Amino acid sequence: MMEQLRHLRQHLLTGVSYVIPFVACGGILIGLSIGIGSRYGMPITSNGPDFSHLPILKLIFDIGSAAFALMLSVLAGYISYSIAGRPGLVPGFIGGYLSGQVKAGFLGAILVGLVAGYIVELIKKLPVPSFIRPIMPILVIPILSSAAIGIIMLKVLGTPIAALMVAATSFLKNMSTGNSVLLALLLGGMIAFDMGGPINKTAFFFGLAMIQEGNFRIMGACAAAICTPPLGLGLATLFRRKLWNEEEQEAGLASLTMGMMGITEGAIPFAAADPLRVIPCIIVGSMVASVIAMLGGVGDRAPHGGPIVLAFGAVNNVLAYVVAILAGTVVTALCITAAKSFSAPKALAATEGR
Amino acid sequence: MKIVAVTACPTGIAHTYMAAARLEKTAKDMGHEIKVETQGALGIENPLSDQDIRQAQVAIFAVDISVEGRERFKGMKVIEVPLQEAIKNAQGIFEKLKG
Repeated sequence: MMEQLRHLRQHLLTGVSYVIPFVACGGILIGLSIGIGSRYGMPITSNGPDFSHLPILKLIFDIGSAAFALMLSVLAGYISYSIAGRPGLVPGFIGGYLSGQVKAGFLGAILVGLVAGYIVELIKKLPVPSFIRPIMPILVIPILSSAAIGIIMLKVLGTPIAALMVAATSFLKNMSTGNSVLLALLLGGMIAFDMGGPINKTAFFFGLAMIQEGNFRIMGACAAAICTPPLGLGLATLFRRKLWNEEEQEAGLASLTMGMMGITEGAIPFAAADPLRVIPCIIVGSMVASVIAMLGGVGDRAPHGGPIVLAFGAVNNVLAYVVAILAGTVVTALCITAAKSFSAPKALAATEGR
Repeated sequence: MKIVAVTACPTGIAHTYMAAARLEKTAKDMGHEIKVETQGALGIENPLSDQDIRQAQVAIFAVDISVEGRERFKGMKVIEVPLQEAIKNAQGIFEKLKG
């Protein structure tokens, strides 16, 4: 059972590892175009930003949007690839694309990627006469598995997942009319919880939807929370250096860079190594950041987070934004330092004892 | 002992290479011969050739994600551990090989 779970996680992380550069590329290009555009007084309508007078920014925006558009296909495709190897790619990519079409989003793409991979594994095991074997990988498996995955996504799984996503969004929307601190706590927690996974992306895309409705504060709270997990963990490796081995200190620097760029996924390797200590700590840090950003009235017009959006000029109330990020980062670092000091991980204790 | 190894992590920018360096150092200290392939964000580096794999007695996968080109190791003794194991306790992995 544990072995099964470990494999499942391995497949998910494989998909994530391929999707991270797409997230970074799309997020930063879109953020850059919107950020610069907003300096020139570009309006943001319900159809997205209005680039009618800014053709170069539109070009940048379109390239970034293409990266985002491919994200779900790549995620599902490589989850399936991880399970079934090369024949897994076709149904995975198609399933991920369809997940976007039926608005089942990130969660849909993850599920469909898993299902696609296992379907291909099943088809591979079918006993076939030897004259059919050569055409299995290029004809039979792609067509059968894609047909199956298409039917599953369009007729079975897609609608309930899409409904779930709509329900989650409208729940968050209802909250945004009520207590804004509670909403910020929830958003911060969601952003940190799975570091770029479906829960993180639900909060992020809610912020994106709110930008299109002219409410930039939701993304402001998300943007601060997005960067504190990698920043806080990176800072912690500088804090009390003897808690971390030499290599981890080096990884801390990479993590700081990812944080500056607003890539929450930078925290994944730390969390994968020690989830029970790391995840609660980064949740607390992100909550602190998002609440301060919310109370400070931070608005972020660009659908991206971290200090880098400051360079785009997409954030108003810069001071509150910086304070929020610093506070969240320091809280994260303090929490993980305390957690590691008072209860050293087993492997570490074993190494020290030798 | 001749050993081949593969390291890979989800972001593939730091931990993958840390684990590789740790495995190489520990193997050397313990008198093993090792070649480590890294599967990071830049793709496969220091790739293991068929000859490397044929000559090795055992393969170590220190990975949090799937190994690319797994079929190359077919029929070989493979020990798979979480990536962190290689960083924190590489010695333990090599000690396991003896048993």
